[in-house]
Amino acid sequence: MILGRVVGEIWATRRDARLGGAKLLVIRPHGIYEPAFAGRHLVATDDVHAGVGDEVIVCLGAPARASAGGNDTPVDAAVLGVVDRLDFEAARLAAPGAGPGIRRPFTVDLSGTGESAGQAGAAGLGGEARR
Amino acid sequence: MLLGRVVGRLWASRQAGGLNGRKLLLVRPERAGGGETARLVVAVDGLGAGPGDRVIVAHGSRVRDLTVGAEVADKDVIIGIVDGHQVTAP
Repeated sequence: MILGRVVGEIWATRRDARLGGAKLLVIRPHGIYEPAFAGRHLVATDDVHAGVGDEVIVCLGAPARASAGGNDTPVDAAVLGVVDRLDFEAARLAAPGAGPGIRRPFTVDLSGTGESAGQAGAAGLGGEARR
Repeated sequence: MLLGRVVGRLWASRQAGGLNGRKLLLVRPERAGGGETARLVVAVDGLGAGPGDRVIVAHGSRVRDLTVGAEVADKDVIIGIVDGHQVTAP
């Protein structure tokens, strides 16, 4: 799963029938992932009524299909949750060998106070992540 | 999935059996903030998309099996043609 922010919505009436009425969101994954996503975005179905500006958890691959309405849905990404709060130690994440895909310090501020608006802008977020 | 624009159609007279008769489109993924990437994706189309259309492309063998059939030799499939989209990316 990856963390990202909802930046837009897509309407498409001509779609594969198995997609049904699934809502499609444009997600900007946070800049900590490598390699970066093509066009720095991805399109995901939404079950949890996320909206533009929300920080979300996006699942990629087969589990996304299961969430999006059964294994017969032709999707490869789905929003599984809206993030209320996120705590982690940026320094630990930035350490060598901290984990796959993490390549630089990263802070996310969901409180709206702006206290931890740190290096997120440099990570390709286009500003700090904030609700 | 990704959002892209159909920039062309692809014809090939000598094809592997798995591609035979399939409509292949060239799709350029878009950037979230506007503009297009330099990448090109060759996607199978079963919906009737054409050059100029914005489309949603899904990737993977299972997606391919569900939409255009397991015999097709391509893992990028057009699953939707976009009517409208609104991206408020900074």
